[in-house]
Amino acid sequence: MTDSSTPTLEIRDFSLVFDTFDGTYHAIDKVNLTLRPGEAMGLVGETGCGKSVLTRAAFGLVPTPPARITSGSVTLEGRELLGLSDRALRGVRGKDVAMIFQDPMTYLNPVFRIGTQLVDAIRAQSGGKASKAEARALALEMLDKVHLPNPERQFRSYPHELSGGMRQRVLIAMALAAKPKLLIADEPTTALDVTIQAQILDLMAELVEDMGLTMIMISHDLGVVAQVCSRVAVMYAGKIVEDAPIRQIFDAPSHPYTQGLLAALPHPFKPVDKLASIPGSLPDLLNPPEGCRFAARCAKAHAACAAPVDFRTVGPGHEVACTLYDLAETKELAHEH
Amino acid sequence: MLRLILKRLGLMIVMLLGLAVITFTIANVAPGDPARLAAGPDASQEMVEQVRAERGFDKPVPVRFFIYLGQLARGDLGTSVYTGREVARDIAQFLPATLELVLFSITIAVVFGIPLGVLAAVWQNKAGDHGIRLLAVSGAALPMFWLGLMLQWYLALELDLFPLGGRLGVFDDVPPKITGMITIDALLDGDPGTAFTALWHMVLPALALSLPALAAIIRVNRAEMLEVLGRDYVTNARAQGIGPFRIIAAYALKNAILPTLAMIGLRFGWMLGGTVLVEGVFDFPGVGLYAAKAAVSSDFEPIMAVTLILGAAFMVTNLLIDLAYALLDPRVRNQI
Ligand SMILES: Nc1ncnc2c1ncn2[C@@H]1O[C@H](COP(=O)(O)OP(=O)(O)OP(=O)(O)O)[C@@H](O)[C@H]1O
Ligand code: SF4
Ligand SMILES: [Mg+2]
Repeated sequence: MTDSSTPTLEIRDFSLVFDTFDGTYHAIDKVNLTLRPGEAMGLVGETGCGKSVLTRAAFGLVPTPPARITSGSVTLEGRELLGLSDRALRGVRGKDVAMIFQDPMTYLNPVFRIGTQLVDAIRAQSGGKASKAEARALALEMLDKVHLPNPERQFRSYPHELSGGMRQRVLIAMALAAKPKLLIADEPTTALDVTIQAQILDLMAELVEDMGLTMIMISHDLGVVAQVCSRVAVMYAGKIVEDAPIRQIFDAPSHPYTQGLLAALPHPFKPVDKLASIPGSLPDLLNPPEGCRFAARCAKAHAACAAPVDFRTVGPGHEVACTLYDLAETKELAHEH
Repeated sequence: MLRLILKRLGLMIVMLLGLAVITFTIANVAPGDPARLAAGPDASQEMVEQVRAERGFDKPVPVRFFIYLGQLARGDLGTSVYTGREVARDIAQFLPATLELVLFSITIAVVFGIPLGVLAAVWQNKAGDHGIRLLAVSGAALPMFWLGLMLQWYLALELDLFPLGGRLGVFDDVPPKITGMITIDALLDGDPGTAFTALWHMVLPALALSLPALAAIIRVNRAEMLEVLGRDYVTNARAQGIGPFRIIAAYALKNAILPTLAMIGLRFGWMLGGTVLVEGVFDFPGVGLYAAKAAVSSDFEPIMAVTLILGAAFMVTNLLIDLAYALLDPRVRNQI
């Protein structure tokens, strides 16, 4: 049915606004993303740039209102998702598209047993077809797969009886039980201790390998992304500004914002220090600039940056939304530091 | 769990002692000669003095308090001047009616309040939400006493839908006394008709008693549901494809109900106090009416006894609520 040329996920021209008391907040602007089967892509950018909103809204997880999708299309293996009913989207979530989130402390329900929550999720993923016993068996199998010690016992535990790392393993088991076509991991290690972070990243890398997962991994941290992903999309103020293979991002970062991210990262495995080195602040998304959203902070900004900026291809699979790559003279400017 | 119950029962005794001190003090600083009251208006001065000596009214207040405590410990609640009977007997007669009424009222408040609070949250800012909130605001703003009068005037007098008051009609037979609660006794007696009549008599007073509690439960439950529906674990449940009914009725409600429970306990106390007013309006022969009549004739022993009994009922309810809390929330359960 789906040949290898059909992308697992294709987001085209996706824009979303929040209708707020102060006006229309242009949170996501004309985003394009393509994910091929088996690909693990990182999505990086500083806090508030729209990573979570983008990956949740695409699957109907951002309440509307206040959000409103103003343009675009989201297809999963060729099937359009925007405009689907709540019920149809529910059939997609969990089963085809799984998510794991940042804070394992808050994403499990405190008053239900781990086992109950796993069984509920697995039965929902199966569209109600799995019996309780089947769901239970699969849940225990998954807990084993994520290397949770003593699965039978944890099955009867409540979330507060587990450590953060254990809870994240439970959430990963829950997300992957249905063998989803796509996994969205939204900063799955940010809230964990460094040693636990490493264990969870190892587990994720193992699962990506074993299960042939197609994944988007969200992070502030290029170092984390580099451990699991082969490609990176860099997001700034609601727009993707650069999309490239991971090596290219480290070897030839092209967008001035990406260059700033890397400059703030002396060692690729050290976390980004909240962009301390790039002066200025995010543009006002209630009245976003028409041209490049990074212009106010960009040392290389020039007249052409005031008009809308499209993607340019600067290498194999390497695209960048920056006017520096149009003309011979500005191309030289692009790599000056 | 058992430790918690024992600890709380111990605490209850301390609190009841405190309550006894307060009511006893109030009764004894109130104007009027207790000996004269006890002896009755027609008694001669000698008879009054005789009563004073017999009942210990001539002793200092602290001594009398300990005598009173001694009586309480023996289950002797004193004698009512008004009915001329032992207070304990009066209470045994009137308490079941009040319990029946208050249990019916709290059931109404909970059975309607929780679903309405949930619906208001689910329909946030839509017409249904506005309607439910209007009910909640009016229920909170109207005094029980006035509410009772209005219900009685409109639904009983004008529309003749409900009886004006009492527990049963004049010609209805009272079922043999088992619990003293007529609905239950009638059902035990295999007489659902009388049970229904008794329930029908309680509708208006129960509405008056329950509306303020209903309003409070709606408000708290709505606010908690809104908060809980925005929590991360709800997002995760939705991300798993779990349907809205299970999310609302189980994942969210089981969390939102915890603060609501605390409110229910508090409101139950208000309801117990409210019986003093509402039973009067509906001429409902419970301890509330008994206490109100006693108050009018400065008949202190019944008032003190009713206060202690309602206080104990309030404390027991709150213990039950804390146990329910522990049952619902594993984090609380682990602490006790
Ligand atoms: N309900 C909402 N109403 C208005 N604005 C919102 C709402 N939800 C999110 N936003 C805005 O959308 C923007 C994107 O938020 P998002 O959570 O996607 O950021 P993020 O990139 O995931 O950040 P982080 O790294 O901190 O998780 C933010 O600026 C936020 O203020
Ligand atoms: S488009 Fe212009 S302002 Fe934007 S990053 Fe490129 S050079 Fe800077
Ligand atoms: Mg986020």
